[in-house]
Amino acid sequence: MAVIMDTAVVLLRMLLPVYTVFVVYQCFASMRRRRRPERPLVLLQNLDTGLKIPVLFWENSIGRNRSCDIAIDDPAVSRNHCVLLRRKEGWFLTDTGSKSGTYINDERIEGREQVCIDDVISIGNSDFEFKRGEEFHEELESSWFFSKVVNKPSIRPYKLMIMISLFHIFMGVEAVFCDGATDYDPAYVCAAMVGVEWLFFVISKLALRRVNFEIECLCLLFTGVGVMLLARQEMRQSYIQLIAAVIGIVGYCLLIKFIENPDRIAKWRIIIMVAAVGFLAVNLVFGRVQHGAANWITIGPVSVQPSEFVKIAYIFVGASTLDRLQTKQNLLEFIIFSAVCVGALAIMGDFGSALIFFATFLLISFTRSGDFKTLILALAGAGFAGFMVLNLKPYVLKRFQGWRHVWEYTQDSLGYQQTRVLTYIASGGLFGVGVGNGCLKYVFASESDLVFGILAEEMGFIVAVTIAVAIATMFIYARSVATRTRSAFYSISACCAAGMLVIQMSLNIFGSTDILPLTGVTFPFISLGGSSMISCWGLVAFIKAADERTYAKKIKE
Amino acid sequence: MKRVLRRSWLTFIVVIAFLGGMVFLVAETLLNASDWVDQAYNGHISGAGGLAQAGSITDRNGEILAQTVDKKRVYHEDKAVRKALLHVVGDNSLNISTAVQSQFRSQLTGYSFIWGLNMPKSFRSGRDMSLTVDAKTCKAAYNALKNYDSGACVVYNYNTGEILCSVSVKSYDPNSPPKINKDNEKEYDGVYLDNVLSSTYTPGSIFKIVTAAAAIENIPGVMDRQFHCSGEEEIGGGDITCVGSHGTVNLEEAFGHSCNIVFAELAVELGPEKMNAMARKMGIDAEFSVSGVKTKKGSYDIKNINKNQLAWSGVGQYTDQVNPTHMAILCGAIARGGQYINPYIINGDSGSLLKDLGLSGTGSTGEQLIKPSTAKTIGDLMRKAVINDYGDDMFGGMTVCAKTGTGETVKGDEEKNDGWMIGYCTDKETPLAFACVVHGTGEYGYSSAGKVAKAAMIQAKKSLTKE
Repeated sequence: MAVIMDTAVVLLRMLLPVYTVFVVYQCFASMRRRRRPERPLVLLQNLDTGLKIPVLFWENSIGRNRSCDIAIDDPAVSRNHCVLLRRKEGWFLTDTGSKSGTYINDERIEGREQVCIDDVISIGNSDFEFKRGEEFHEELESSWFFSKVVNKPSIRPYKLMIMISLFHIFMGVEAVFCDGATDYDPAYVCAAMVGVEWLFFVISKLALRRVNFEIECLCLLFTGVGVMLLARQEMRQSYIQLIAAVIGIVGYCLLIKFIENPDRIAKWRIIIMVAAVGFLAVNLVFGRVQHGAANWITIGPVSVQPSEFVKIAYIFVGASTLDRLQTKQNLLEFIIFSAVCVGALAIMGDFGSALIFFATFLLISFTRSGDFKTLILALAGAGFAGFMVLNLKPYVLKRFQGWRHVWEYTQDSLGYQQTRVLTYIASGGLFGVGVGNGCLKYVFASESDLVFGILAEEMGFIVAVTIAVAIATMFIYARSVATRTRSAFYSISACCAAGMLVIQMSLNIFGSTDILPLTGVTFPFISLGGSSMISCWGLVAFIKAADERTYAKKIKE
Repeated sequence: MKRVLRRSWLTFIVVIAFLGGMVFLVAETLLNASDWVDQAYNGHISGAGGLAQAGSITDRNGEILAQTVDKKRVYHEDKAVRKALLHVVGDNSLNISTAVQSQFRSQLTGYSFIWGLNMPKSFRSGRDMSLTVDAKTCKAAYNALKNYDSGACVVYNYNTGEILCSVSVKSYDPNSPPKINKDNEKEYDGVYLDNVLSSTYTPGSIFKIVTAAAAIENIPGVMDRQFHCSGEEEIGGGDITCVGSHGTVNLEEAFGHSCNIVFAELAVELGPEKMNAMARKMGIDAEFSVSGVKTKKGSYDIKNINKNQLAWSGVGQYTDQVNPTHMAILCGAIARGGQYINPYIINGDSGSLLKDLGLSGTGSTGEQLIKPSTAKTIGDLMRKAVINDYGDDMFGGMTVCAKTGTGETVKGDEEKNDGWMIGYCTDKETPLAFACVVHGTGEYGYSSAGKVAKAAMIQAKKSLTKE
């Protein structure tokens, strides 16, 4: 009898990793589907040569420069001549300070001017007729993520949701019966979590009329895993985490709505930048030291970590300081803003977040300017600053003394946490000891900084690695949708937000496993921390907004 | 847009770096997981509960030393055997870190990389461990040792590497471990330390093996030289004293009588460099591995010392320290013509994982500690010492080569000597090397450690030949 029971338990346990991989795969597989075929939006036909130039993006730079989206080999055309962009109301043309001017139907344009089908656009000595995309018959290259899309209908979102809910219910059942002591409280948490998931799904489908729900599915999966891991640890925290997730989801929807109009973004840039700096200033003045970093503000019963919210503002500001698409760059403003953010965090002693901001700064500034000089200069500056800090304040270096030597410091602060993480990862094996049965949860800060260890110990190494890789893969998705975004803002913000999540996760995983120094940052979605949860949903909103299907309303057939 | 898209590929570097890190993490986990699990703080295996599912531990004859009955850990039925093997087997806690139940707790409880520590009970098998020790020999050695403050006795087969006897005192009964608090901590000082592996003692005259070897290799014709001992001599501005006045002696007689004057003179004549070279070669400050546990390094530190101190260092005084397991290994090496076999304590058939890790099975061949010709000469000296000074009767007719020593350690007014006897048996059916040491006695090594060596060797012979 015991053998049959044990066999059943073993099979169930082996099933969980397989199931995890399957769910994650399905999420990504369905992201690839329901995409319009790779066809130009409109096209420009040269009236002299008859050559058809496909227009692929919502925002296109036109000029003699070969890196322009539409490069025209005509000496009379300026390097960056004009910009052709699509908005809700139609197509528009803006001259970007060309020498010879831009003409629609022989009328020189000033500012933004609408272009209609069959209009003639004159640039330099070339005349183009503005035509519909359907008149282009050649094959176009497409990103590999979408290249071999099977025509099979994608898995229906509700089925994906059922799979994810089952995953959480499985964790809930484990939590109820763990440690040989039955406790029904986790069942309520689980029910609440599943309820939130479906409510979000229904609202998204019926009220917001979103056609796709895959990236939300993925994030709900991670969120639920974080909530359920806490269920047998600290019930109260589990509910707080869930409430934070709800706030995060609401924020996610609002943010998507807010950045719907690319023209609105530029107007809000300065306001958001000032607000972010103000937020950090308040933090510096009123911040409370907690766990070695003064980055907490307590208002009544609520403690928040302002630096988490500044992350959203940072991506927003970083991606939006582009005036009239590439033609006028204002990188200096962003550099100063970045320096303020990183400096404020360093003063608070939150070196982990400072590092995240700095790495993200490199990503954004390079994506915007393509300038290696800025990149190298920034790295050299950071290296110098780091060198000075270590020289002037040797105690900072001492914090990292245990790095790669943690087994020599198993009983003191230099290696205590890391060695526990490694021991319990190994104790969990590939399939884990089951939710609630772990021992790492008794170690300080395990539910936030060391959560990767808890995940691996209780749910197994395979599940932990799968979830980590899934978060990293969100970047590949972000990069793929970036080719179809409605504005460069979405492309930059999606790639950089995904990059930020990956950087943050890397610091968390590799810090707690002694591959990098332990800096104490959170694992996206799974670590305990309301501010972190809200900021993660906010960052994913940028990825979602980049997908052009997001704003396409479902049309009832 | 085109430009932005092209540049955004830079972000891929971040993802690639992340994936690279993950690969590194997986590789590190694959390589080290079993070491990571074996930690005293590991909540899954520490405490008595950690042994609730552990396999049994048996001695070389299949006698059960520890097993789990109804989720409780029970040890050998004989209290003396329990206390004798405490430091080898360990207790429920992980206090004795070198013991098998601490070192291999994860294996005993069924650790595997795939299942972690969570394999269901019905699937566990082959987690029992068999040791090379002989319970009877250990008990005999323990009974001879138990009245001393501190001591150790190790006996091993120098041809195969199997350790037959490994006993350390002080000890306690693993069935009722003492609660150590401020009142009784003096009484239990060092009780968690396995003195066989993790302690060093002042060698006294047994160090003359090193000095003799250095002299044989570096001073031509030293074996034929005549020395004079008048019981006391001034060397380097201080007195060197001897146990007696030995008159005119050759090296062989000096070794047998354990004459301090002769060996002190030889040490000074050889000089620090040659003495140091021989001590290093013989492994005084090296660490040896017994089934994965490293021995404590001894020391022969003669940096910035004067002539008198050098003289004392040559007769095993000054700051000299040696480890009991190393002394047994050295005797084994002399018996085998200079090259030793690594001792081990876990039998080869104890589960394949241990075998894979190279922690069990037949002992591997170690380094050459002495030149074969020197080993032969030293062996002859040790044999003569037994014939002329201790008598073959002492070991019940076994052919034994040995050396005794008394390391003088004075604590306050009281003499607390380290008494030693180390050696080996050349009989074919009992190829055993031994090292016994007792601390905290006014006696000489011959009478204190000698008793222990005698008890252990005689019982070992009985056990091996099944008399």
